[in-house]
Amino acid sequence: MPNENFRRELGHVFEEMTGSPSAALPDRVRSSLANLPEQRAPFWIAGVAAAVIAALVVGIVVVGNINRPQNRVLPVGVPTTSPSASPTPDSTLPVFVCAGGSAQSTTPAPAVAFIDALRIGTHPGYDRLTIEFKNGLPGGFELRMQTGTTFTTSPKGDQVTLAGKNGILVVIRGADLHTNYSGSTDLKTGYAALVEVRQVEDFEGVVQLALGVSGSACYSAFTMTGPDRLVIDVKG
Amino acid sequence: MFVALMEQRPQLMTRAAAGDADSFAILIEPLLDPGYRLAAVMLADRSSAEDAVQEASIKAWRKLRQLHGDVNSLRPWFLSIVANECRMARRQRWWSVLKLAEVPSSESTTEHSATSDLHQALLKLNPDERLPLVLHFYLDLPLDEVARTLRVSPAAAKSRIYRAAKRLRSDLTLEEAF
Repeated sequence: MPNENFRRELGHVFEEMTGSPSAALPDRVRSSLANLPEQRAPFWIAGVAAAVIAALVVGIVVVGNINRPQNRVLPVGVPTTSPSASPTPDSTLPVFVCAGGSAQSTTPAPAVAFIDALRIGTHPGYDRLTIEFKNGLPGGFELRMQTGTTFTTSPKGDQVTLAGKNGILVVIRGADLHTNYSGSTDLKTGYAALVEVRQVEDFEGVVQLALGVSGSACYSAFTMTGPDRLVIDVKG
Repeated sequence: MFVALMEQRPQLMTRAAAGDADSFAILIEPLLDPGYRLAAVMLADRSSAEDAVQEASIKAWRKLRQLHGDVNSLRPWFLSIVANECRMARRQRWWSVLKLAEVPSSESTTEHSATSDLHQALLKLNPDERLPLVLHFYLDLPLDEVARTLRVSPAAAKSRIYRAAKRLRSDLTLEEAF
């Protein structure tokens, strides 16, 4: 029966995705409930506390952004061999991802986001690639780690091998690299961690950038606004 | 034991509503497994799924008044909190990256390859599209509970299930989905 086949197949796929929860989960939940502070306080106290916390958080974020160094990445074509003025990686940055094969995200976006700059920079402990967009962040990003640095160009299908030991493929959907960008599409950085960045696709709204990295390809990726940009840090 | 628990649920709910965390923990314990499975599908990450269920349990305990002692609404209400927690976790994680935990192995067996297309198609759906599928096809919730979990009407829930299922199998008919 088609319905049962579909349900069974889907159930099998779901089972593969989820597995079973760890046996410790009920104890973990019970323990977290037991350790909560008394929760029956009057609502107005909770309201005042929430307002104070919100004000503190907003204050910290505003002050943090004001004090944050804004020019930590360098323009394309000006690779540096010395560390920047920023002495240590920002502790507020996301942690590096080393295991697993890929990462992705999607956001509300313009039809096509125009890349208008690729910037690279080196910092103590990591190298950075910044992809800047002119008119908003694109629809989706995906980062795939791979062993080796051989990538396939699209749509031609040629094999290209980058400098470095391992690779990261950055797939940007809903973007182009030719409307606003006129710089190099193959950046050899000379850095310790991120050694080469090369465009392998710019076709029908999909941009793929191949990254050649020297180490284990641990990376952290996040977006920033004003201007809109995707930032990828490769751990040294 | 399950029957005994079902019989005790009204009393447990009364005690939980009066502030007894132990009673609440007993009440939601059978819901942790479906909550985890829902979260694992939405987040595609088992460890984050357990975190989401733990956080949802705490929030459910704090918001228990919202249920007005209605023990029959506990499951869809709790699962909707889990789903919300997953959405929040995803928003927070976008500041870093969203990790796909279970990358398909290149050494897949024949059995795996039979469902791999479905698996890939499922991963292409966004988590809110996966949600009605998990509730209906995996957790086997009745349509009215799916609707209450999604906080939509039963007709809208049916439509969401069908729409998402059709994205997995384009030739699926309405009768096959229900």
